[in-house]
Amino acid sequence: MTRRVPPDSNSSQGPGLRQWSGIEELSGDPAFQAWVDAEYPAAAEFTPTARREFLKLMGASFALAGLTGCEKSPFVAALPYVDQPQDVSIGVPKNYATAVVLDGYAQPVIATTYSGRPTKLEGNPDHPVTQGRSDIFMQAAVLGLYDPDRAQGPTRRGEPVSWNDVADHIGALRAEWGRTQGEGLRLLTGPVTSPTLSRQLDALLKQFPKARIHTHEPVADGGRRNLTAAAYGQPLDVDYQLESCAVVVSFDDDLLGPGPDQVRRARSWSSARRRDGNGPGLRLHMAESVPSITGAMAGDRLVTEASRMPSLAQALASKAGVTGAAMPDLTPVEREWIDRAAAACRSAQGRALIVANAFGDVATASWVARTNEALAASSLLRFTTPLQSVANAGALADLVAEVTAGQVETLVVVDTNPVYSASGSLNFREGMQKIRSSLHLGLQRDETGELCEWQLPLTHALESWGDARAIDGTATIIQPVISPFYDVRTVHQVVAMMSGQLDPAAEAIVRETWRSRLPGDFETAWRQSLRDGFVRDTAAEAVLVRPDPAEIVPPFADDGLDIVFRPDPTVWDGQFANIGWLQELPKPLTTLTWGNVIAVSPALAKRIDVANGDHVKVTIRERSTVGPAWIAPGQADNTVALYLGYGRMRAGRVGDGIGYDAYAIRPVDQPWLTKGTLHKVGTAEVLAVTQLHHRMDGFDFVREVSVEHPALQPPPAQPSLYPARASSKNAWGMVIDLDSCIGCNACVVACTAENNVPVVGKDQVKIGREMHWLRIARYFTGEIEAPRSFFQPVPCMHCEDAPCEMGCPVDATTHSPEGVNQMVYNRCIGTRTCSSYCPYKVRRFNFYDYRNAPDSPEQAAHNPDVTLRSRGVMEKCTYCTQRIEAAHVAADKENRPLREGDVVTACQSACPTRAIVFGDINDPDSEVSRLRRDGRHYALLEEQGTRPRTTYLARWNDKRGDRQG
Amino acid sequence: MTDRSADVLPVNQSLGGVTEQLAGIPLHFPARRRWLATMVFACALLLLLMVSIAALFTRGVGIWGINIPVNWAFAIHNYVWWLGIGHAGTLISAFLLLTGSEWRNSLNRFAETMTLFAVICAGIYPVLHLGRPWYLYWMFPYPATMGVWPQFRSPLEWDIWAVLTYLTVSLAFWYTGLIPDLAAARDRARSRGWQIFFGITALGWRGSAAHWSRWSQAYRLTAGLAVPLVVSVHSEVSLLFAAGQIPGWHSTIFPPYFVLGAAFSGFAVVSIIAIALRFWFGLENLVTDEHLDLLGKVLLATGLMTAYGYVFEVFDALYSGGPHEIQTLIDRIAGAYAWTYWGALVFNFIPLQALWWRRVRRCGSALLLISASVVVGMWLERYMILVTSLYRDFLVSSWGEFTPTFWDWSTYFGTIGLFLVPFLLAIRFIPMISIFETKELLHEEQEERHGG
Amino acid sequence: MAAEAYGLLAEFGSPEALLKAAREARGAGYRRLDAFTPFPVEGLSLALRLARPGVSWIGLIGGFAGAAVALLMQVYVNYDYPLDVGGRPVYAISAFAVVTFELTILFSALSMIAAMLWQNGLPRLNHPVFAGRRFHLASKDRYFLCVQSDDQAFDPQQTAAFLRRSGALSVELIPP
Repeated sequence: MTRRVPPDSNSSQGPGLRQWSGIEELSGDPAFQAWVDAEYPAAAEFTPTARREFLKLMGASFALAGLTGCEKSPFVAALPYVDQPQDVSIGVPKNYATAVVLDGYAQPVIATTYSGRPTKLEGNPDHPVTQGRSDIFMQAAVLGLYDPDRAQGPTRRGEPVSWNDVADHIGALRAEWGRTQGEGLRLLTGPVTSPTLSRQLDALLKQFPKARIHTHEPVADGGRRNLTAAAYGQPLDVDYQLESCAVVVSFDDDLLGPGPDQVRRARSWSSARRRDGNGPGLRLHMAESVPSITGAMAGDRLVTEASRMPSLAQALASKAGVTGAAMPDLTPVEREWIDRAAAACRSAQGRALIVANAFGDVATASWVARTNEALAASSLLRFTTPLQSVANAGALADLVAEVTAGQVETLVVVDTNPVYSASGSLNFREGMQKIRSSLHLGLQRDETGELCEWQLPLTHALESWGDARAIDGTATIIQPVISPFYDVRTVHQVVAMMSGQLDPAAEAIVRETWRSRLPGDFETAWRQSLRDGFVRDTAAEAVLVRPDPAEIVPPFADDGLDIVFRPDPTVWDGQFANIGWLQELPKPLTTLTWGNVIAVSPALAKRIDVANGDHVKVTIRERSTVGPAWIAPGQADNTVALYLGYGRMRAGRVGDGIGYDAYAIRPVDQPWLTKGTLHKVGTAEVLAVTQLHHRMDGFDFVREVSVEHPALQPPPAQPSLYPARASSKNAWGMVIDLDSCIGCNACVVACTAENNVPVVGKDQVKIGREMHWLRIARYFTGEIEAPRSFFQPVPCMHCEDAPCEMGCPVDATTHSPEGVNQMVYNRCIGTRTCSSYCPYKVRRFNFYDYRNAPDSPEQAAHNPDVTLRSRGVMEKCTYCTQRIEAAHVAADKENRPLREGDVVTACQSACPTRAIVFGDINDPDSEVSRLRRDGRHYALLEEQGTRPRTTYLARWNDKRGDRQG
Repeated sequence: MTDRSADVLPVNQSLGGVTEQLAGIPLHFPARRRWLATMVFACALLLLLMVSIAALFTRGVGIWGINIPVNWAFAIHNYVWWLGIGHAGTLISAFLLLTGSEWRNSLNRFAETMTLFAVICAGIYPVLHLGRPWYLYWMFPYPATMGVWPQFRSPLEWDIWAVLTYLTVSLAFWYTGLIPDLAAARDRARSRGWQIFFGITALGWRGSAAHWSRWSQAYRLTAGLAVPLVVSVHSEVSLLFAAGQIPGWHSTIFPPYFVLGAAFSGFAVVSIIAIALRFWFGLENLVTDEHLDLLGKVLLATGLMTAYGYVFEVFDALYSGGPHEIQTLIDRIAGAYAWTYWGALVFNFIPLQALWWRRVRRCGSALLLISASVVVGMWLERYMILVTSLYRDFLVSSWGEFTPTFWDWSTYFGTIGLFLVPFLLAIRFIPMISIFETKELLHEEQEERHGG
Repeated sequence: MAAEAYGLLAEFGSPEALLKAAREARGAGYRRLDAFTPFPVEGLSLALRLARPGVSWIGLIGGFAGAAVALLMQVYVNYDYPLDVGGRPVYAISAFAVVTFELTILFSALSMIAAMLWQNGLPRLNHPVFAGRRFHLASKDRYFLCVQSDDQAFDPQQTAAFLRRSGALSVELIPP
């Protein structure tokens, strides 16, 4: 893949680099006016507002033209190139290495752009952390760029203003700060790892010593730092060296779950799991209160209350011989589990790692730290000084205190949304009234932006110059892959304004940061870093620490239900609420879309007599919220799980008013685990879930092998009435390793992005019309109190003897010579026979016209190589046929046969565990052929004789292996 | 079941009287008020259909309750139901003609008419249910610019040909049988308009001996073809399902099962119409209790054969031992849509048992109710066969549910209007009972009287 | 003289009377006879010595034609644009059977009915016998024997007399 830096990035004085000035200004220029009227007579007839929109868009496209040759705004009606720019060949995508940002951490990506439109993000294969793998947030970031509800220009109390007005206002404020040394100036930032932003903030504080900075991290990993501070005496970031683990004991730690560290951990988890071919290389013992995808992968899972974790951790500690660890009293079940876990740890000889929940309590963390010490597992932990640190920043609570005390004159909120995501008990919204002048910097005019006097729209990461550090500290210099098409600025530009620069250039600010930091010739290193997508050797230094021997205070013990807060698996802390792809993404264990639930255990549900969807009321210290109940198989009896990120009011047309707001009742002092009560309300709602039935019902969809029986029964030969067909040169096939799949959904979002899969909305999902080409089936076995969970990605099986094809009366679905089951959209008349006949029900139908409105920005996110499907047409997984064809073309150009790795499907490249392998089954040496010969290999519904090309590797059942160990 | 010794028609009536009576129905229409009332009702339903179709074509099949996995429901289900009804007419007249059961002569005309319009009702569904109905013509082989042709391995392709053939042949058969009566009506007609109408439609038939001999041959041979046609068409319809691998569909019992079910529902509708007509137009002298008795017997027989299909389907699933087959069986008798299965059983077979008694068979109202219940039962059966098989097929993860929407229902009831309106027009404009065949029968009986 | 009339139309009250008269007419040497009845009367065509109708043969030919057309069509479209459909053979004769059967029946039935009409000289709007005053009863309950004027033995007076002798209720001269 050819990687590029923007054509202008070498000439910092290039015309393109001058951010175009405000559109109103631009449109005010009579000459420009005349030109527009001449060029676009229609524009003269526009109503004032429509005209402003038009000019804004036009302005954007002109600016783009100035910036990158002739690339046009993604969503104004197509304007043909007047002159074909040198470096653009239509239809041939360009790839740029850059990064998107999640909770301040860089997520390194390769952005694919068509004629200047980024349409798809892939992981950056060269990056030391992700090694080309990705997660749902990285995949979905591109849609955030085209979010139609982004703030499109600066506003003051909702009225559009120009950036000049903003500059004037900031100038006035600066004068004041100058007098008071920044007395009463407060900045509130979200999680920050950006060296440039840190530099700027430091500079700002030097100018105005009395100003203060606070940080607000509704989720992030603030919890982790507090725990390490308690356990090791200093806040730390920690990296589990899972590759070298043989046993992991997790106390409620969803280490494979969503978040900034998911990709790294999933990667090392799967490589450890695969380490020795004849069995699971890594065995996981997990005690958890709320079912998580990690728990689903655990071979030995204990269901217990979150508040029991300290005792369990202490028990394991005493087993491991930690001094001062008395054996607490445990239930029989807990004791057995502890015995097994301890035995496993012993047998692992130093390759056993104990981990504690980042959202857990101090006592557990401390016991775990000491147990690791005792087990000599320190080599399996890599500690680094926290990346997310703004120099001596205060907490949000302190800020609120100062605000209520009336000590805050000016509040600058930098890219965070406290009005929504602050604990309800802080009454942040009320506090805002006391502040004289408030500025909000953010992509959207969200809850906070609405309340602030000034809302200053920021650029999306994909249109920004900036930088950020990946989870391991490796810095990425973020380069724009498209020029801003709204009247926006990078956060660095705005902060630079505050420290006195007028209309600063975005790139220059970042360059300034790195001029001193890059080794050797700056320009070379700069270009190299942009090309690579990261700055080499910038990973954080490991620090050696010993557990803090201080007395461990057992956590509060009071009665009542455990109320556990968790970030939402798909919209995270709420920042992705307006991303349709993520709203419609089935949440891993519930397959719920478009909302959040209050998860209760089956026992508790029986006690208060609720079923899925019944409304229940959770009360914590006089604050309460109401949401739909969900009976979570395998949830601890007295635990109630609330999911953050919903109940937003100013997210946009997609995310507004869905679900309940858990922040409203979240205590400041106990943000993750607290006590409360639960009551049935009496009302109910229908939840939009994509899988209605969860038990495997004794079928063998997901098969298992064990160390004792490492191979499955080979299937009986399938007789056929038909002569075997000679397959062409390449015969495509896919193998999915169910032992590696952690059900993270990255493949689903990748597929959605690659294949223009439409978002159909809550009501359509409710009646079973979701359009995902690839679904992750989720099954339970065993009793509902403590089930085992399985994930199984189900794309089209591309059966060699496909029932669907036989059913189509018009040849709209047929077989390609390479064995791909093709769908010819423009031939389909919509009889839906193919879907009726499909034993796997992987086909999807356009019951309505699900395409985006022609004028909506999302149009620009579409992959131009994939047809948009109209109403009444069947669609389904194509093995990313557009990629296969592109590979053919490339190979033909070089006059060579296709090689292994030439074709990588979207789901395959997105998968953080490399569970999906795609390739040519005619080539005996290809990995897919190798896996098809594996003992764990099997086909879904083999007995149907459909001869699927998509097949599976059975999952390792490591339970019995443990008992031996 | 057909004995020519017992008289079906009372012999104490003159041929001329019969002619005047039957040809008189269109010419001097007796039951105007009732007819008008029914017509208004039928037109209302037809209007409902128009509205539903307009909504469907503007917004798409999404207005129905279908989804993945249940992406065939009301459309296909009612298609099969209507087509099943449409099979009785041709079966009755053709099959009974061949077996020389003249008692049919009072029934075949409106039975065939009923067939025509039922098949039309069925016929529109495959069009409506398309995602892109405006491309229907792609199912026909014509030299397309795309170069592609229809796919003749597909049961849907077979279906188009089968149903169109059936419609055409039924129409031809019906009209051929109608010609002599149109002539009779022509000769009775007084007003100019009627004379022209019947004069043209009778094609100049004059009952010449040569005409009759050729006509009889053609008519009987067509009947001979129509019988296997009926069987083939509904067997083929059953292949829409049996050709798929879905548990509950993929079964060899389906073709006979469907054909018998079709005859069953069809005879039920024939009985309903027979009873209604004889009540309306006072045709007790032609549609006699003897007829009802025979209809009752046929209904009972076909019903029991259909019941055998049910039994065998269960046996099939258990005997195969396939876990998915058994799963589907359990879903049918205990699943979310068990009401369709038990509903079908109850409505189809419980009231039916009353027909073992001669007195019930000869009682119009009783037979009417039983037939009505059969019609409902068969409707539920089609629902059951479609939905209970689709909503839970192989992979648990793809299991779904189906709830019909307003538009599902409105389209269905609309087609009832589409059936009634033309049928009422037919009653109004053409002799609803075969005049000449009735006379033939009557004459034979009188002969026997004199002879015996 | 044959031009003066189409023939003589004699009315009878029952099929039996008609049959008797028809036999007598044959016996009397009349050859150009025709009969009109409200329903097919057994033995009438025998009495009149009518040729066995050939409709069935046409039906047979039609059937073969239908089968041939159907098979050729299905084979040709797959030959013209062969596609791999679910691994089924390109020329899946078993799958082609249904359409073949349907078209066999369609062609056969239609050809027979067409042949019947064509041989009967239908449709035609008018015919001399319709001029008969009482002919409308031919579709009700009367049975007519017609001796056509182009018969060698035809003579308006004698033939009429002959017909009355053989029991005709009424005899009428039909203008051409």
